[in-house]
Amino acid sequence: MTRTPLRPLARILPARERGENPDDIQRENLRQRQADERDRQRVRAEGRLVVLGVFFFCAFVTVGARMGVLAMTEAEEPVASAASARIAMQRADILDRKGRVLATNLETYSLYAHPQQLVNASEAIEELLKIFPDLDREKLTKVLTGKRKFVWIKPRISPEQRQAVHDIGDPGLLFGRREMRLYPNGPIAAHLLGGASFGKQGVNAAEVVGVAGVEKNFDDYLRDPGNADAPLVLSVDLTIQAVLERVLDAGQRLMHAKGAAAVLMDVHTGEVVAAASLPDFDPNDRPQLDPTRPAEDSPLFNRVVQGVYELGSTFKIFTMSQAIDMGLVTPETEVDTRGPIRFGRFAINDSHRYGATMTVDKIITKSSNVGTARVAQMIGGARQKEFLEGLGLLEPTPFEIAEASGVRPLYPQNWSELSTMTISYGHGISTSPLHLATAYATIANGGYAVSPTLLRKTGPQHGPRVISDRAAADARMMLRHVVTDGTARRFGDVPGYAVAGKTGTADKPKPTGGYYEDKVVATFASMFPVNDPKYVLVVSLDEPTETVGLEQRREAGWTAVPVAAEVIVRVAPLLGLRPDVEPGQMAGISLTAN
Amino acid sequence: MSYLEYAVKTMPSGPRKILYLNWPLILLLISVAAMGFLMLYSVAGGRLSVWAEPQMKRFAMGFAVMIAVALTPIWFWRSMSAVAYAISVLLLIAVEVMGSIGMGAQRWIDLGFIILQPSELCKIATIMLLAAYYDWLPGKNTSKPLWVAVPVLLILLPVGLVLRQPDLGTAILMVTAGGGLMFLAGVHWAYFAAVIAMVGGLVTAVLESRGTSWQLIKDYQFRRIDTFLDPASDPLGAGYHITQSKIALGSGGWTGRGFMQGTQSRLNFLPEKHTDFIFTTLAEEFGFIGGFSLLVLYALIIVFCVATAMSTIDRFASLLSLGVAMTFFLFFSVNMLMVMGLAPVVGVPLPLVSYGGSAMLVLLAAFGLVHSANIHRPR
Repeated sequence: MTRTPLRPLARILPARERGENPDDIQRENLRQRQADERDRQRVRAEGRLVVLGVFFFCAFVTVGARMGVLAMTEAEEPVASAASARIAMQRADILDRKGRVLATNLETYSLYAHPQQLVNASEAIEELLKIFPDLDREKLTKVLTGKRKFVWIKPRISPEQRQAVHDIGDPGLLFGRREMRLYPNGPIAAHLLGGASFGKQGVNAAEVVGVAGVEKNFDDYLRDPGNADAPLVLSVDLTIQAVLERVLDAGQRLMHAKGAAAVLMDVHTGEVVAAASLPDFDPNDRPQLDPTRPAEDSPLFNRVVQGVYELGSTFKIFTMSQAIDMGLVTPETEVDTRGPIRFGRFAINDSHRYGATMTVDKIITKSSNVGTARVAQMIGGARQKEFLEGLGLLEPTPFEIAEASGVRPLYPQNWSELSTMTISYGHGISTSPLHLATAYATIANGGYAVSPTLLRKTGPQHGPRVISDRAAADARMMLRHVVTDGTARRFGDVPGYAVAGKTGTADKPKPTGGYYEDKVVATFASMFPVNDPKYVLVVSLDEPTETVGLEQRREAGWTAVPVAAEVIVRVAPLLGLRPDVEPGQMAGISLTAN
Repeated sequence: MSYLEYAVKTMPSGPRKILYLNWPLILLLISVAAMGFLMLYSVAGGRLSVWAEPQMKRFAMGFAVMIAVALTPIWFWRSMSAVAYAISVLLLIAVEVMGSIGMGAQRWIDLGFIILQPSELCKIATIMLLAAYYDWLPGKNTSKPLWVAVPVLLILLPVGLVLRQPDLGTAILMVTAGGGLMFLAGVHWAYFAAVIAMVGGLVTAVLESRGTSWQLIKDYQFRRIDTFLDPASDPLGAGYHITQSKIALGSGGWTGRGFMQGTQSRLNFLPEKHTDFIFTTLAEEFGFIGGFSLLVLYALIIVFCVATAMSTIDRFASLLSLGVAMTFFLFFSVNMLMVMGLAPVVGVPLPLVSYGGSAMLVLLAAFGLVHSANIHRPR
C-alpha cells in the first residue's frame, strides 16, 4: 500500500516561505489518513454485512418455506403421549452359565412433591407419615411448607406405597419412574456382581451405574441401550456358587476364622465357576464402607482378588515343577535337607527334623522349607522370576471385575538370592487366592497358562506352554501324595474323586513389622480328579483356629483341608464328574486311611 | 470517539432524547410481545393469571429497563462492557458452585424480584465486550493471530462454563454470535474458513469411523447422535416434541383453527408448550399467516437494528447493534427451525414470546443499547 507522506517537502517548503506553520500540513494529512482508514474499514464492514445479510435471507427463506410446506401437509390425528406405556428396561441383565438370572431390573417409582401445588399440606404430611413411618416429621413439614418448588421425598417406593400415596389425592405429590437394579439371589455371588446405584437423577428417569464387581467392569456394555436384549452371561454356576458359599460359611464358623475365600476354576478355560468371599453382603442393599475400620475387615472386601497374602507352602510345587521341567531333578532325586540354612542373620528352618536327605517327592509331601530352598538355589533367581511371571503370579489378573485390575502381587524389588529361597516356599511374595488358582490350573491342565475369566467360554482357552506335560504330570503325582501320605492326609481325600493338592500355612504379618505367632492364613490349593484334572479349588481361611482336639491347631491340614474336601464332596457331582475308584495301591491306601 | 468529539456535534440531550427514541422499533417489540401474551393466554386455557399476566409484568419491567438503558449515553456502556462481562462470568461461576452444592443442575440465581439466568446476561455482555475490543483495537491489528486469539478466549471462557451446566443451546448461540461479530469486525476470512474446515473434518472423521476398526467413539454414543440428529428415530423419546409440533403445524393449515381453538397444544400433548415450543400454538391457531407475520415482524426488527448500525460512524455502537441483531436472529431462527424439525432440539426460547423472565429482560436491555446507539450519534 502506498501511503502519502505526512510531511511532503513539496508542500512544506512553499509553506515555510509563506511563513505558515508546516505542522498544520502534517495534522491535516494525518486526519486525512485516518479518515481514509475508516472509509476502508467501512467498505470492508459493509462487504461483510452483505455476506451476513445473504445468510440471514437464506435462513428466513428456509423458515418461511418450511412453514408453508408444513401448513400444506395433511394433519395427522393427534396421538396421546405414550411415554407411560413404555417399559424402559434399559440395563442389560446378568445371567449365570445356565441362563439363570443373577441381576435384572425392576420398575419402581420415586416420590417427589411440588410444595406450592399442595392443596392441603398438613393433611398430606399426616398421610405420608402413616405410609412411611421412617420419614422425619419436622424435616418433612419444613420442606413441604417451605418456599421450594420441588422436593424429593423418597427415592424409590413399592407399588402398594405408590397406590397409598395416590389415594391421598393431593395434586402436589407426584411420581417419577425409576428403574432399579435387583439381585434376586440376595447375597449369593455378591462380590462378583458388585452392585449398582443411581447416578444422575431426573424426575422421570435415573441413570443406573455399576459401582463394583462385574456391574462396574462392564458398565458401558450393560448401560448401552442396544444391549438391552443381550444379557451378559457369566461363567458362574448359581447352584455351585450357592453350595460353595454355604460350605465356606459353615467352615468359617467351625474354624473360628475371621474371613474366608474360595475359588473354583475350570483348568482348561480359566472360567471361574464359583468364587466366594466371607463376610459378604447383599448387593440389593450395599453397605457403606466404614472408614474407621481397615478395608479388609469390611464385608465389601473381596478376599478372592483383593486378599493379598503370603500363601506359604502352596508355592513349593512351582519350584519343584520348574526344576523337573529344567531337568535339574526328578521326583526321586535325593536333596540335602540339613538345616538350618544360614544366610547372614537369617536362617531357613523346618518344623521337624527330616534327616540328611529326602527325595523331591518327600519334600513336597512333608513340606520341607530347607529342601525346597536348596532346589531353588539350583534354579537361580532370574529363571525363577521368569517362571512365576509365566504363571501370572507377578501381575494383576485380567479377571473381569472392577476390583481385580488394581491388585498387584507384592514381591521384593530386588530379587536377591535370599528372596529366591524364601519365595520358593511362598514367603516374601504375596498374591491373591485367584492368582494361586490360576497358577495351579497350569499344573492341572498339562502345562498351559490360562487367564482367569468370569465370562462363559466354549472350549479350552490354553495360553502359551509354561512347563512340559511330563513335569506337570510329575507335579500332580507329588500333589496326590500330599493328600494320601502328607500334610493333607487326614481330611483331604474324597473317595472317588482323587483329590491332589498342597497345603500352606503362613504367619500373618503385623502391620508394625514382623509376624504374629498365633495368626495364620491357612490355604489348601487342590485339583480333582487327579488322573485328568478338570477343576482347581483354592480355599483360604483367615486366622482360623481348630479347637476340637486338646490343643488348638491352626495348620491348613486341620483347617482349610477339611473345608475344601467338604466342598468337593458336594460340588463334584453337580459339576457332572463321575466318582471313580482309583486302581491299584493308591485305592487301598485311601480305603484304609480311616 | 471521545465524549468531546461527540459533544461538538449536535446531539440530543435531556428530555429531548425521548423524541429521538426509535419509535418504530419500539412499536415492533410491543407487537411481538403482544402476540406472546395472546399465545400464553391461549395455552393456559383462557386464563390470564397462569402465564400471560406474569409475562406482561415482566415485559413492563423490561420495557422500563430498556428505556433507562436507551437514555444512558452509549460511551458509558462502552466503558462498562468489561465490567458487565466480568460480572456475568462471575455469576456463571457462582451458579456452577451453587449448583454443585445444591445437587443437580442449577442455571439461575434468585434476585428476589426476578430469577436471573447468568448465561442470558453473558450472551449480551460478551457481545458488548467484543464490540468495545474492536473499537479499541487499531484496524491494522485486526487479523494478527495474537489479536485474534484474545476475543476467541473471551468467547470460550463463558462458553466453557455454560457447557458445564450443561446448556448446549446457549453455548452454540454464544459461539455463533461471537464468531459472527468477529467476522463483521473484519477478521480475515481465512480464520473462519480454517475453523469451519476443522469442525467439518472432525465431524466427518467421527461419522466415517463408524463400524470401522478405528472407530473414534463408542456405539452408544453414536446412537445418541442418531437420536439428536434424527429425532424421528425415537418417536416416543427425544422425537416426541418434534412429532407433535409437526402435527400441530400441519393441523393449523393456512389460516389456522382460530384463536383459542388449538387442540394439540392446549390438550397437553406438548410439554414445554408455553416456553420453547410456543410457536406451535401460534401456528396451529393462526396458521401459516400467523406464523409468517411473526417472521416478518422479526425481520423488521433486524432491519431496524442494521439501519442503526449503518447510520452511526462510531465503531462500538455499530458493532454492538449488529451483534444484538445477530443474537436476536439466532434466537428465533434456531427456535423455529427446531420446532419445525429442521434442527436438533436444543433449549432455545422464542424471543419475546416464550414464557420466561431473564431472556426477555436481557433482550429488552440489549434493544435499549441499540436505542442508545441511535440517540447518541452525532447528527
